[in-house]
Amino acid sequence: MAVKTVLESVRDALHSEMERDPSVFLMGEDIGPRGNVFRITAGFLDEFGRDRVVDTPLAEASIVGIAVGAAMAGMRPVAEIQFADFIYPAYNQIVGEAAKIRYRSAGGNSCPLVVRTPYGGGVRGALSHSVSVEALFYHVPGLKVCAPSTPADTQGLLTSAIRDDDPVLFLEHKRTYRLIKGEVPAGDYTVPIGKADVARTGKDVSVITYGLMRHFAMEAAEQLAGQGIETEVIDLRSIRPMDRETILNSIGKTRKALIVHEDQKFGGIGAEVSAIIAEEALFELDAPVKRLCGPDVPAMGYAKEYEEAFMPSPARIADAIKALADF
Amino acid sequence: MEIKPFTGQPISVLAYDGSPVTNLDSLGISKDEYLSIYRWLVLARAVDDRGYILVRQGRAGFYAQIAGQEASQIGSALPLTKDDWLYGDHRSQGSMLVKGLRAAEWFAHVLGRSLDPSQGRLMPHGPGRNDLHIVPPSSTVGNQITEAVGTAMAQRIKKRKEITIVYFGDGATSEGDFHVGMNFAAVYGSPCIFFCQNNQYAISVRLQEQTHTKTIAEKAKAYGMDGFLVDGNDVLAVYAVSKHCADKARSGNGPSLIEAYTYRYGPHSSADDDTRYRPKGELEMWRNERDPVVRFRRFLEKQKLWNDDKEQKLLAEVKAELAVALEEAEKSPVPEPMTVLDHTYEKLTPHLEWERKELAAELGV
Repeated sequence: MAVKTVLESVRDALHSEMERDPSVFLMGEDIGPRGNVFRITAGFLDEFGRDRVVDTPLAEASIVGIAVGAAMAGMRPVAEIQFADFIYPAYNQIVGEAAKIRYRSAGGNSCPLVVRTPYGGGVRGALSHSVSVEALFYHVPGLKVCAPSTPADTQGLLTSAIRDDDPVLFLEHKRTYRLIKGEVPAGDYTVPIGKADVARTGKDVSVITYGLMRHFAMEAAEQLAGQGIETEVIDLRSIRPMDRETILNSIGKTRKALIVHEDQKFGGIGAEVSAIIAEEALFELDAPVKRLCGPDVPAMGYAKEYEEAFMPSPARIADAIKALADF
Repeated sequence: MEIKPFTGQPISVLAYDGSPVTNLDSLGISKDEYLSIYRWLVLARAVDDRGYILVRQGRAGFYAQIAGQEASQIGSALPLTKDDWLYGDHRSQGSMLVKGLRAAEWFAHVLGRSLDPSQGRLMPHGPGRNDLHIVPPSSTVGNQITEAVGTAMAQRIKKRKEITIVYFGDGATSEGDFHVGMNFAAVYGSPCIFFCQNNQYAISVRLQEQTHTKTIAEKAKAYGMDGFLVDGNDVLAVYAVSKHCADKARSGNGPSLIEAYTYRYGPHSSADDDTRYRPKGELEMWRNERDPVVRFRRFLEKQKLWNDDKEQKLLAEVKAELAVALEEAEKSPVPEPMTVLDHTYEKLTPHLEWERKELAAELGV
């Protein structure tokens, strides 16, 4: 096992898949000599050449549209959108084409495409470098959406995503890139898409979360353990398909659910999680489902005070867990 | 015949009366091939006539005719090989037939039957067939342009001799995908033909409301690409220009834009009323003076390759062939309701498994 950052786990997954499979190639803005704006692909151009590390013209719609066409013709493109905030011009291609081509061809065509993009706040990125876009995409059948939070899950899921025969939107929380370190098993390591991780077991409250909030929830849970509250933390890892079974098993045990995400509450991922619990486990609940999420405003502001007001913190998560435990 | 980009007038081989205006030998087309081209033109028109009747009879829900644009479609698809990729648009069934789509499959597509390669999922703009490298179009104008560039890029990376052709209309040249796709293809030398069927209307919006350039072909200049303006109702000219661009792409010399100047006879689709926007007499002028099928027949007659007897025989033959094709389509079963869940992902997700149970209970199957 090697200890690495989330950023290094992205790099290692890309590198090993490119070494393993010549049909895997990268395309995106500034991924060539610049080595990506976070330096994820540093050195890749020299190693793999211009055909497999394609520095694209600055047009997100064409990055994904071209990747879709290459995927249909037998390649496995990994298209990068530099920041999730810039993904909107490519929405048409992801939703209208990549996610639908298998269905509209009745299985004749497939689109083994990965669109990876850094998302999320806490980096003073303000309105155009902080957004969470998962809710805009998790409604889309035909698409898979991953949002891992640890180095091991990131490397394992990205490897699975590249090998998957369906299009995958791969969301990397940019605050975790260098902040979060962890052990990653050596060798050919994969994590199945669609399986949640029970990050911590507990009997009192279930926290269902993903992304950076997993780490904040773990911090809150550790604090509360000292006060005798045992929190179970479920990291969804994959948002679509969603692991309903793990959620329901946990609710069956704790009977209390707190859903935490950085993205806005209204129409967010927590809405579906709440609905699953309401449909399948209403009478097992000892308290109403609680959602702790970003506020219903367009995006996170630049001022530190706005970031802090927007993002759930370990302290706020701990308060919410405690309130549920006391209910 | 020298084929030059950016001509002021459309490149043509035949005058409206069918007489050649250029040296035919340089085209390298045999007499048998001329006859084969004519058969394709006649067949494409007959398929379309038959398909449109299905809507009028209430047996189909939608149809977009290619009538008037047969020469653009047949002429541009003939230089393609089996392995080349074809991205269609709103009306490109003529090209798809040349590429190998069967008439029976087309009729099944119009009727929404299982024989349809898209199995009743798509509006009848073309069903695609992956084994023939025909990609089923979506109705979102212009999306296919960037995708075709991606396919062409894959062909270049794999060092294949295949090329990609992508069809779109004049309206699509206002879409972002047209511009970003052209730009990328030129930068990376993708083996791609951008084939614009300029039928002068995007539903009802005329070309002068669509663009301020005099031609569409000249837009290629901005991307450092050759743009060819061709008479889209002259099948030999379309063939010659398309062959030129296909050879160029195949030999590693990059993409081209072709503007086929043509005209559609029918409404935008069976849901449109074209009498609201066409000036009086325009349709009649194109139909009576510039029809692509009649023009090529006149050429064959002038070359002593065709006469009324042969014409009657061909029409009867095509009619019989299409009757068989339609019968095959009609015999094909309608889709099973439960297959509505298939082909969303490679495998059913747990969520779809649950929905399968729920739907089966709701439908009582």
